[in-house]
Amino acid sequence: MTDHRTDAVTRRTFIGTTAAAAAAFAFPGGVFAQGSDRLRVGVVGCGGRGTGAALDCMRGSAGVEIVALGDLVPDRLASCREELGERAAENADIASKYPVTDELCFTGFDAYEKVLATDVEMVILATPPGFRPDHITAAVAAGKHIFAEKPVAVDPAGIRKVLAAYESAMQMGLGIGVGTQRRHQAEYLATIERIHGGAIGDVVSGQVFWNQGGLWHRDQDAGMSDGEWQIRNWLYFAWLSGDHIVEQHVHNIDVANWVLGAHPVRARGVGGRQFRTQPEYGHIFDHFAIDLEYPSGARVLSMCRQIEGTRNHVGENFIGSKGQSNASGRITGSSAWEWQRPERRVSPYVQEHTDLVASIRSGRPYNELKQVAESTLTAIMGREAAYTGQELEWDEVLNADQLLAPPEVGFVPMAVPPVPMPGRTKLDRKWGE
Amino acid sequence: MCGMRHWTTIAGPAGGALIGLAALSPVPTAQVASNARFHETISGTLVEFEMVRVPGGRVEAPGPDGPAWADVADFHIGRTEVTWDMYDVFALGLDVVAGDAGADAIARPSNPYGAPDYGWGHAGFPVMSVTRDAADAFCAWLSTKTGRAYRLPTEAEWQRAAALAAGDEALDGARLHAMAWFGPNAERRTRAVATRQPDALGLFDLFGNTAEWVTTSDGARVTRGGSYRDDSVGPDARAVQDDSWNETDPQLPKSRWWLSDGPFVGFRLAASVEGDQP
Repeated sequence: MTDHRTDAVTRRTFIGTTAAAAAAFAFPGGVFAQGSDRLRVGVVGCGGRGTGAALDCMRGSAGVEIVALGDLVPDRLASCREELGERAAENADIASKYPVTDELCFTGFDAYEKVLATDVEMVILATPPGFRPDHITAAVAAGKHIFAEKPVAVDPAGIRKVLAAYESAMQMGLGIGVGTQRRHQAEYLATIERIHGGAIGDVVSGQVFWNQGGLWHRDQDAGMSDGEWQIRNWLYFAWLSGDHIVEQHVHNIDVANWVLGAHPVRARGVGGRQFRTQPEYGHIFDHFAIDLEYPSGARVLSMCRQIEGTRNHVGENFIGSKGQSNASGRITGSSAWEWQRPERRVSPYVQEHTDLVASIRSGRPYNELKQVAESTLTAIMGREAAYTGQELEWDEVLNADQLLAPPEVGFVPMAVPPVPMPGRTKLDRKWGE
Repeated sequence: MCGMRHWTTIAGPAGGALIGLAALSPVPTAQVASNARFHETISGTLVEFEMVRVPGGRVEAPGPDGPAWADVADFHIGRTEVTWDMYDVFALGLDVVAGDAGADAIARPSNPYGAPDYGWGHAGFPVMSVTRDAADAFCAWLSTKTGRAYRLPTEAEWQRAAALAAGDEALDGARLHAMAWFGPNAERRTRAVATRQPDALGLFDLFGNTAEWVTTSDGARVTRGGSYRDDSVGPDARAVQDDSWNETDPQLPKSRWWLSDGPFVGFRLAASVEGDQP
């Protein structure tokens, strides 16, 4: 615990938000039990991650309370309440932080508005990513602090909304944390601080990977509308997930942008749908390989794959003029160094909540939305380079006339969008194109 | 698969390496003969594995009320830790024939959001990051596939195998180095099975590589033998699962199949000798 906080503080010092660091030290766990220090939190999106994030938030800080829950469908709301209820039954600390009642549980497409209309001070946004830009925009407008899951959008239109919300949140002094938990993970913080200090010299190239097998999918039950099925089976529809390069690989791409201290200026790449071709997998690709070009001239290879039976590799590597690093605990070359793993460490999924709540309580909350919007747009740029088969510039993608969501989002008949075809698919496109 | 081919070539009563080891073993030579081992092939696949007969005896094993003596009957134990080659057939449904609706009625592991093998190696490497429930489910599935009742070893059985593994010579540092992938030589990752020397029973990696799930009389979640990350492995190495083994699964409920922070956890098969109860 002590080791981790020291590292977290080190990181905050170098990014310049020392107030948050001071708060983390000034209020060790337990001091916030007084009523005036309570932070009331709502959850929008009560699936596995939203439920997990709610627990992580409760575990991360004294005095937080999960008071309101919202989900599109009743069964997910019920399973969330059952899980959190079980945790509360076996742990008095969690029980004291979980005063949810039926009156503050909401379902439907407008559940997020109902959660925002309560007296919560912070919301956890954990629905499928396609809904995130609207939810972030509404939460900022309602003056709520936010913990938003990654990615924060799935298309350029969504990114533009999120960047506007970022500016508003900055003016309003709202705290926004985003679920890129590597930014709160001790070994990444310690290593990247050293890279920024010159431990591998000038960073000239990198390779970032998320190669794994497949993920879960949901079948369309008899009587279930196409719209409900697509939302429940959201990983496989670009308007909901952004494709796996955006939904999953954004973690590693975010590390590249963090290490390089910039977002790339252009991208070119390849990808396809070779293995996962059955209807239950919607229309997305199962592999991508992207060349990202940064302002310094540095180049990063981004590679991701979700194909069973292939070699797994999740991680990052950076090559500098004086050495190399995996960004997470190891540096080789003239300034060789290895991170010493502490005996017991805090889960980064808990730490990200501890850090956010501490920064809100310090009165100078941090806002991670812009950096993750840029990492999300980097992933979108890679996706679009592969989908279209074109070399794409940052500004061109940011300003693209692309909106992936259907005109009517509901439990309605809905076709599966076409599989993108390089050479034919256009950057500027609407639903169904 | 290279690991598996390797051990089939040295298997069998004529194997020179094994005769040499048998001479060191307290096990009567007659019991390390052709009836002491059998091969099993998972039907519909090319995946095979080998089981070794362990002579029973009296062992002192940990229990809920402290160490207690137990009588262990003869039993069979996996010659290697269960490999990904074996586990993938179960986890990925590689034995499911298209159109066979009944074959997939069994619950199989969910797909993890990430890489439970950590990219360290797959074919010929020991399965890892598996929960006790997943190990039990694998055994149940394998029993259905093969018609033989496979299960995890009891802690007393594991202890009996570990006691015989040393043979007549002391299990000193040099022998452990030769037999085990552990802290001093493994560079903090698993290695292909059967790439260190076999022990006196002919088993590989009983100490080190992955720690191995066993069943206990009180249901405690226990592994034995130690793993690649431990400096101290051997017959006495024992670990009880705690929250740190499954800390960072960001989903709730956490996976019942995969340990988000347990890359050091695997298992080895056991089976009773026909007609005996465990």
